Amino acid sequence: MTAVMSPPVTPVPPPVRRVGRRGGIAPPWLFAAPALLVYALVMLYPSIVGAGSAFTDWSGVGEQRSFVGLANFKQLLHDDQALGALRNTLFLTVAIVVVQNGLGLLLALGVHTTIKSRMVLRVIFFAPVVVSPVMVSFLWKYVYNPAPDAGLNAALNAVGLGSLRQDWLGNPSLAIWSVAFTVIWQCAGYSMVIFLAGLEGVPQELHESAMVDGAGTVARFRHITWPLLAPAVTINVMLSTVGGLTLFTQIIAMTNGGPGYATDTLSTVLYKQAFVFGKFGYSTAVALVLAIFVAAVSFIQIGYLRSRETAA
Amino acid sequence: MGGAAAVGTLAACGGKSSGGGGGQLKIIGAGSQEAGLRKALEEYKAKNADFDFNLSFSPADQLQTALRAQLAAGNAPDLHAVYPGNGSAMSMVQLSKANLLADLSDQAWTQKIPSGFKGAFQQDGKTRIFSPGTSVLGVIYNKKAFATAGVQPPTTWSELLTVCETLKKKGIVPLALGAQTPWVTQLINYALVPGTVYAKQPDFDDKMAAGSATFAGSGWADAMNKYLELQKRGFFNPNPNGTTYEQATSMVGTGKAAMAVQVSAVLQAYREAAPSPDDLGMFPLPATDNAADNWIPGGIVVGIAVSAKSKKADQARKFVEFCGQPEVVSAWAEAIACVPLYSEGEAKVDPVLKPFLPFLANNKAVPFMDQRWPNAEVQPTHFAVVQELLGGKTTVDGALKKMDEAYRKSA
Repeated sequence: MTAVMSPPVTPVPPPVRRVGRRGGIAPPWLFAAPALLVYALVMLYPSIVGAGSAFTDWSGVGEQRSFVGLANFKQLLHDDQALGALRNTLFLTVAIVVVQNGLGLLLALGVHTTIKSRMVLRVIFFAPVVVSPVMVSFLWKYVYNPAPDAGLNAALNAVGLGSLRQDWLGNPSLAIWSVAFTVIWQCAGYSMVIFLAGLEGVPQELHESAMVDGAGTVARFRHITWPLLAPAVTINVMLSTVGGLTLFTQIIAMTNGGPGYATDTLSTVLYKQAFVFGKFGYSTAVALVLAIFVAAVSFIQIGYLRSRETAA
Repeated sequence: MGGAAAVGTLAACGGKSSGGGGGQLKIIGAGSQEAGLRKALEEYKAKNADFDFNLSFSPADQLQTALRAQLAAGNAPDLHAVYPGNGSAMSMVQLSKANLLADLSDQAWTQKIPSGFKGAFQQDGKTRIFSPGTSVLGVIYNKKAFATAGVQPPTTWSELLTVCETLKKKGIVPLALGAQTPWVTQLINYALVPGTVYAKQPDFDDKMAAGSATFAGSGWADAMNKYLELQKRGFFNPNPNGTTYEQATSMVGTGKAAMAVQVSAVLQAYREAAPSPDDLGMFPLPATDNAADNWIPGGIVVGIAVSAKSKKADQARKFVEFCGQPEVVSAWAEAIACVPLYSEGEAKVDPVLKPFLPFLANNKAVPFMDQRWPNAEVQPTHFAVVQELLGGKTTVDGALKKMDEAYRKSA
């Protein structure tokens, strides 16, 4: 007699009926209403009102402001500083997305083992994430001290690599790499944790079956782990992309956008326009364009990555 | 004095709440003014039992952000720091245009403002800030380092180069430059330009405003070339773009470096970095080989203004009136190593400033350049192009062209 295998049937729970005081059904959004109200008051309303400034010449202080239409947006198209900052922003974003996530994945694979010290290692790798970005920036400013007998330069000298000593933050060609490295150093642990969560969700049985079939480590990673990590990849890529496109704190704290304009990003440009140059209207226009740009990139990314998840 | 302002500690402190008078006056001052402003406040409080204040300070690079955010939000302090003249987003002209500063013109001390300095204090003929006097910009030097190398303060550009060469041969960094701190980048140009530009063209600012002069076509190019010459000859510490103001201060204080081009307002910070305050002196930076052409920059220091929206404006105005008395002006000026705006009899100044007094007396001093720039964008552009020059990323022509472009932008 052959047993007919039928797919397991998951019992479907009956729909939960939310019963109001008078026996009616409470609409689900009612539960989110208080949070939505707070969100609308402290986020949506100021954002919409603030966005209106992008069409004015407001200096940021005082009452005087005139409607200037799209002038601020037209100015942005011809603003060399903003275009330079856009290039820096894209460079940093790509560097952060690729290297931070690559490193995060390697770290996650490294600590997703049975070695005894794995918990300690997880804590060590995650520790920089919980430190304030400003603190991390000041710490790395010490590391990047240009003096030949201090910080990283001293360390290089000590291991016989004195010829590699650099002015890490003062050299316009090098500063952006130095900043990128600091951000990646701080945030790789964050990517690691998300990948680690993804790895925990990969069924061990699949690996065991594959091993029985003779699959090696690389083959198992390629055909089992990597496809099943797709949701973690989506989250990591999304978060690091948004983080890269809006990078601000570390730049201001470490280089203030310098030397010259070498590390200016769109975020530092809009900050300087508002608070240093006194052009709040123009700054808001830059902020609006940045927000739309981030949203567009995120939508495209999420569309692609979700389809990849489905395919996996 | 615009971005040439100095440092201070971010220290919040002040008097205790007495509950008397009109309540506590909220004041935010510039870090470089702390010694003088605090002295004036304490004296005024001692004489007015019902007066009380809540005072905090902010260093130059944070002052602008912190105060502008409060001004924008409509919760400005009753009294706050303001830069004289124009040229920065926290300058008297910019804030006056936004109707944020109370008119002080009816106070007696305003009549004593020297005519050459009125532009720093007044907008449309109305006085909007109080400032205790003039800070000078020159070379702070370590006397021990000079003695070790056997050199004297130079009086011409060529002598300066010789002094630097001698110091360098002795293994002492001739000039400490902390160009990673943006406002420090401008100081050498500010010290050179009075000689290379204003000694020949005293009306240069008017010509710039009228559009008949440019930075690129003026003695600014000479000043920037001289700035670069100092770097090319190896007279700065290595990697000035990666060195901060604090590091440069420490280098001069400890004698590792011999000199730094700085404003007298930061003299106190240099003294604190030195084993003995007497180790340090100051002299004007010579910009040319003709001693008669060596003018100095002398800028009105960061002032205080009464917020137009203050509910305690009367109380604040009374304090400013007190500050305008000659003895208070003198005490304040002495505390921050600046030359008092006016005095009864001979001005009492920090002895290290004496080499500068003949320049002020002979009208060979010009305000810090940013005080007459038309918008808040020229000065930060200057910071950036100097860093680019030091980093080899632009030329003198390219740098000055960017400054000209920033100058022509609307206010």
